Amino acid sequence: MTKCPVCGAEVDVAAIKAQTGTTGGGAREMDPRAGTRQFHDGQWFYFDTIECRNNFTMQPDRYLSGQG
Amino acid sequence: MNFGYSPEQEALRSEVQTFIRDNVTDELVEEMDIHSGTDRPRGRGPLGQALYRQIGERGWLGIAYPSEYGGQGGSRIDQYIVEEEFLRAGIQISMIGSGAPAILAAGTEEQKRYYIPRLIRGEVSFCLGFTEPHAGADLANLRCSAVRDGDEFVINGQKMYTTSAHVSTHIYLMARTDRTASKHKGISIFIFPMDTPGLTVRPLWTIQNNPSAPKFTTYGAARTNEVFFDDVRIPASALLGEENDGWRVGSMGLNLDRVGAGRYLISVRRDEDIINFLKSDEALGARLSESEVVRDKVAELWTEAQVCRLMTMRSMSIVERGGAFSYEGSAEKVWAPEHGVRISESIMQMLGPHGSLLRGSPHSVQDGLYAHNVMGSFQSGINHGSVQIMRDQVARRGLGMPSSRGNKAAGVK
Repeated sequence: MTKCPVCGAEVDVAAIKAQTGTTGGGAREMDPRAGTRQFHDGQWFYFDTIECRNNFTMQPDRYLSGQG
Repeated sequence: MNFGYSPEQEALRSEVQTFIRDNVTDELVEEMDIHSGTDRPRGRGPLGQALYRQIGERGWLGIAYPSEYGGQGGSRIDQYIVEEEFLRAGIQISMIGSGAPAILAAGTEEQKRYYIPRLIRGEVSFCLGFTEPHAGADLANLRCSAVRDGDEFVINGQKMYTTSAHVSTHIYLMARTDRTASKHKGISIFIFPMDTPGLTVRPLWTIQNNPSAPKFTTYGAARTNEVFFDDVRIPASALLGEENDGWRVGSMGLNLDRVGAGRYLISVRRDEDIINFLKSDEALGARLSESEVVRDKVAELWTEAQVCRLMTMRSMSIVERGGAFSYEGSAEKVWAPEHGVRISESIMQMLGPHGSLLRGSPHSVQDGLYAHNVMGSFQSGINHGSVQIMRDQVARRGLGMPSSRGNKAAGVK
């Protein structure tokens, strides 16, 4: 578990990355309702919603400096 | 300059039309539907495979591609004619957005021999892994990284709005291979299978989801995707072109991918649909067709559509001659989507409230086709390079204008 850097909610990293299906081309598929993540400056950040991730994308420094 | 087709080309069109009339069924169109949220790879069901065999036997697959790679070594105009007729019937056999031109231009001999025949036969299909949360219109800002490790590259990062990632066999990925270079340098292109360990796909549902768009909707896909890469290891042989030369390879490939029937028909199909509706036996269509305002508007929009057609033919003619091709595809990509928006709005005005009803609703016109087209029309100006970026390319490459301040700051000449 980790905390969403935008809203502080608990985020289940394992659930976000868990395989829930397989695409027609054979790729692993995830459940979009489990949360999402973003690759930023060489590391992954995890979010409870895509809205939180959008806010992070707009102002990453704000949330990384703990001023969010 | 000849604006017409030769007698041989007219005969080819007639032959293709006859084949479609005799062989293309509703079940086949349904199986090869490119609009629904299906996770079935396009053209790989039993009916689609049978169709590919049949049209392959007639020499209609990959007409303009070199014969040593499974094509026919023929004319782009012939290929356009075949693709146009199939698209009109609701079946995409064209390789628009396939990456095939880039492979021919920059690929190794091994890549050409593996991918081109399989793309032509519909056995392999690519999704384009370009856009990221940070990098859409400003694509060169991409951050997905590929780090060399001996004979492999290790990919980490994510892509967004990856159309068809859920039905494609391979990804055509743009990733950063040198973080110290300026943002248009240090980028490379890779092609590798979607079932590579560490690659995962997450659905994103579009404006066309629930109800899903009826067939023949332009830009009617109910689903797009995010793609994540966690320590994805791929062989160095997956690299397309030179390492760190991916911006040039990718831009050139996108430009060439825009040439052909696919782009043209996406934009003008709406004109043909409403004209056919107005000429049909449907009461609403028959009543509207008598209106002077409607007739005037339809004639105006049809005329605009012919501009799309001429721009497409001009681009094909340049590529066929082996001429320099840089901004012409961008100009098409400005005119055609904006025409699509204009005609979608005009059709809504013609149809009145019935035109706004979605698929499945009582009183919807042609199962909500025109309402779904309105929603899709705005996507076409964003996907595959926004019209604003395309205008900038026309200004710089076509009109010789200096780079904008923003581009100069980013190192774009």
